Amino acid sequence: MLLSIRGLDKSFGGTPALSDVALDLRAGEVHALMGENGAGKSTLIRVLAGVSPADRMDARLDGAPLVLGSPADAARAGFRFVHQELNIVPTLSVAENIFLGRSLPRRLGAAVDWRRLNRMAGDALGRFGLSHIDPRQKAGRLGTGDRMLMRLASMLVSGDTEPRLFVMDEPTAALTHAESERLFAVIRDLRARGAAILYVSHRLDEVMALADRVTVLRDGRRVLTAAMAETGRAGIIRAMTGRDVTEAHPRRAAPARAGTVCRLEDVSAGRLSGLSFELGTGEILGVAGLENAGQSDLLHLLLGDGGRISGRAEVADAALPRSPSQAWGRGVAFVPRERRREGLMLGRSIVANTVLPHLGRLSVLGLARKRLETDESRRLAQALRLRHRTLAQPVRELSGGNQQKVVLARATLDAPKLLLLDEPTRGVDVGAREDIYATIRSLAAQGTGILLASTDLPELIGLSDRILILRDGRQVGLVATQGLDPEGLLSLIYGEARGAHE
Amino acid sequence: MGLRTMLGAVAALGVLAGMAAAQDADRVAVITPYLAQPGTQFYLDGFEAEAEARGWDVNVVDTAGDIAAVISRIEDAVTQQVDAIVINVDPAQVEAGLVQAQAAGIPVIGMDAGSHELLATNVTSNGYAMAAETAAYVANRIGGKGRVVLFTFDPFPPVQVRGVIADAVFGNYPDIEIIDRITPDVQDGGIADSRAKMEAILAANPDPGSIAAVWAAWDQPALGALQAIEAAGRGDEGIVITGIDANPQAREAIAQGGSFEASVAQDFVGIGKATAEAVARVIAGEEIREPVTYVPTRLITASNVNE
Amino acid sequence: MIHLRRYATLVGFGLILLAFALALPDTFLTAQNLINISQQVSMLAVVAFAMTVVMAMGDFDLSVGAMASLAGVVAASLFAAGFSLPAGLLAGLGTGLLGGLFNGLLVARLGILPFVATLGTLTMFSGAAFMVSDGRTIFGDDIPEAFGAFARGGLPVGGLVLPSLSLLALAALLIVWVLLEHTSYGRRLYAIGGNMEAARLAGVPVRRLRASAFAVTGLGAAVAGLMYASRVASANPTQGDGLMLNAIAAVFLGMTMSEESEPRALATLAGVLMLAVLDNGLTQLAVDSYLRQFLVGAIILAAVASSRIGLSKG
Repeated sequence: MLLSIRGLDKSFGGTPALSDVALDLRAGEVHALMGENGAGKSTLIRVLAGVSPADRMDARLDGAPLVLGSPADAARAGFRFVHQELNIVPTLSVAENIFLGRSLPRRLGAAVDWRRLNRMAGDALGRFGLSHIDPRQKAGRLGTGDRMLMRLASMLVSGDTEPRLFVMDEPTAALTHAESERLFAVIRDLRARGAAILYVSHRLDEVMALADRVTVLRDGRRVLTAAMAETGRAGIIRAMTGRDVTEAHPRRAAPARAGTVCRLEDVSAGRLSGLSFELGTGEILGVAGLENAGQSDLLHLLLGDGGRISGRAEVADAALPRSPSQAWGRGVAFVPRERRREGLMLGRSIVANTVLPHLGRLSVLGLARKRLETDESRRLAQALRLRHRTLAQPVRELSGGNQQKVVLARATLDAPKLLLLDEPTRGVDVGAREDIYATIRSLAAQGTGILLASTDLPELIGLSDRILILRDGRQVGLVATQGLDPEGLLSLIYGEARGAHE
Repeated sequence: MGLRTMLGAVAALGVLAGMAAAQDADRVAVITPYLAQPGTQFYLDGFEAEAEARGWDVNVVDTAGDIAAVISRIEDAVTQQVDAIVINVDPAQVEAGLVQAQAAGIPVIGMDAGSHELLATNVTSNGYAMAAETAAYVANRIGGKGRVVLFTFDPFPPVQVRGVIADAVFGNYPDIEIIDRITPDVQDGGIADSRAKMEAILAANPDPGSIAAVWAAWDQPALGALQAIEAAGRGDEGIVITGIDANPQAREAIAQGGSFEASVAQDFVGIGKATAEAVARVIAGEEIREPVTYVPTRLITASNVNE
Repeated sequence: MIHLRRYATLVGFGLILLAFALALPDTFLTAQNLINISQQVSMLAVVAFAMTVVMAMGDFDLSVGAMASLAGVVAASLFAAGFSLPAGLLAGLGTGLLGGLFNGLLVARLGILPFVATLGTLTMFSGAAFMVSDGRTIFGDDIPEAFGAFARGGLPVGGLVLPSLSLLALAALLIVWVLLEHTSYGRRLYAIGGNMEAARLAGVPVRRLRASAFAVTGLGAAVAGLMYASRVASANPTQGDGLMLNAIAAVFLGMTMSEESEPRALATLAGVLMLAVLDNGLTQLAVDSYLRQFLVGAIILAAVASSRIGLSKG
């Protein structure tokens, strides 16, 4: 046994976050760590990283007692961490990033030996079969996936001790399919070298394919540790939620097209081109494509945040809004892709975040009505089953899924005419996903036209009535979802398909 | 942790409070916005030496150029019931504070501050006397006859009085003719424009001996005139130049023995000392009858410039 | 622990008050002295309240001190040129509004960092103040009697007189407090401070609000400048310059006392009062001016260090 933990307790301000948790990691295994948002996964990782030490814990590394009181302890034990948000220095080269924080090879004792540095970095990348990354280029030019792989390569060469355990927190959240595949290959390679990988992800398919064993946390307690082969999908979901959740998306009745909320005719703007579609009231139109194929650009365009256009565009019975503020004023609501950067004021309260776009309507003569703001926020928090302590608490304290619910609550407070959703369930656990899906469906039933951009293909097919396909910013297809399966959609996205164009 | 830091800071305050425990000595607050200026330091040296001899408890407050803060600090001194307050800032600008001091019966003495009805007295140099010193020097040197150029500046009251005296002194000599009375542009201190004006006058009076003297109400125009005369090659004509204030540049020119022959030095240390004496009189209950207390000045010529 | 930190500054403030009250039993906690303090601090308070408005958006305005000087000089110059009292006052206030709007446009339209933009306008406003005044102090007969009398006057209540300047500062506090805490406008400013991009995407008209908030701050600075000119019955082109750093210090002190370390109107008031009490008390204790300055700086640092902002937000 590489690492064995027993009786781990950790509480914050009297509220237990982890109680009596046990975890066993073997050398040469991929071990999935699962649980809903707020179940304690992040806390457990922070304990392992020595960032927030446990209140009580019996930890053994190779059978010898192990203290994790600081990040240095974790580094000495051979633990390495890959986070969702990567710490890279975009202005430095890939090679410099890989050797960041350590002395670089030198010539004559002073000048950096660039050639040797680049060769060492190239070797580190090469071990993962990452020869497509040039060590000399600026790290900021790499895609998200390559950045992650670069960080992994950096971990292999970093530190005084051999890496024994890699902890990966949602590594594929921002990766394309191909990038994910490359990462999985690297993970398998690491496993073959005898390292343990603790793998945190909400993507069940991924976990089922990759992990040897799984540990599930619920409400700060370990509820399951089992070999993946012995547990089914349903078993994991049941362990996570404590209830049976049907993952399937119920078929909706086709919407009654009473009107049009959005109409584009041969619109081009920036890198977008050839956009022609109509979105009816109560309709959910999916937007599919490879990573960064223009999905976000399209949503921003309709929000009035896309610059000049050619072609004809009509949104909510008027011309294209000129600014987000005008868009919201006309009943266009938006859930951005990156909730922490584009969505939330993390230090502000749930109420402040929820009512922000609606302050004008909720006030009288410019004076805020705090009671009304709180009432509206409470109504939405209940509808979305938001897990929170009080509505006055800063959203920073909420788990990722619950933060996403706040962003969604904001967008749905005023029953918008047009709702723009950009990856609304990214990094969100199964239970919270269901709540978000239910909200989306109920809005559509009330007549809101919804544009849903997502790279989660089952989600896209399950929710949408039709799907718009983008490739490099260009509209290449518009298909009905009836009878479509993920494989079929994927081939349309890649453009290998037959007769995909309308 | 944070609390402990704050407690430390507050404890330091407490020590200071202990240091300032009540004393019986007379307490005098000196409040100035200009401590960083060299002149102010001389006033204070004179004042503090005298105050120490008298056993006063002196608190010097510098507001670093902030006039409103001078008012605030006067108010604080009033609250504190000091025995006297000394200011060296234009009293009109701190009138709000003077009113409070008066209401509390605390005397305020000006240390070269300017005259004001709410001051017990203002101690300063005698501008009339300074002008008389140099004007008389000029008349004396040119033997009571000749053509004289005046540089004056009437918009600024302390300088304006100097011009009045010069006019009076020269007017008393029938053979002295004032050929020009110039008000230089003082944007850059006055040297450059005075030089330009003087060059024009020299051009209009090209004959040697046609200009006997230049009397300036302060040093900068005198220095400008000196430059113009020397640049015109007329430095050996014996034109007599005088200034007032005896600033370092003027002293240097006087020491060289050229046309710039005399200036008047104010006794800053003496003003400080006289201020302390005035404070002592006021504290003793005396009412000073003169609104302005004059301190003697000293004529500076080549014979004493290096003392 | 978090709460202890948040209240460290307030506790410290309380202890300072206590120390002064004990050391100066007869003169510190008297109604007259407290009224004095309120008047002494009134100009700084108005600038600090105005500064709180832009700092709510996470911005800075370094030009407030220079604007205070400029507004005073503009009004005094018009007085000297024979214009009426209202004309001079309006011109001073208008200068503040326009100068602030100029700051706002630099920041919101051209996207110049507030620190850099207002550093530039600081120098411009200061230069303008010198140009308008010819570098001189405007005083004496050039200043209408009523202008200087305003600052010396007040509202008699019982045996005491509440100074006009204190009442003006109180009005400024009330306006800024309502603006920031009770209007949609203020809530949107805080949203911009929380996350500008998120606020923009959530429909907050960020540019317009930033520009207008800087205009409000400029106006506040001009009000303070006119108050200053009234108090000293004169105007010179540098007299308000010192207000800027003290105002920022006061807002920072306030932030150490507020939840989530946000600038709040009432917290700024506490910060302003803390600075004023230190000045008043230490002067009364006859502490050397330079030592006093040193101590005030040290106490600001102690307060900021003991709160969270020094650690998390820098």
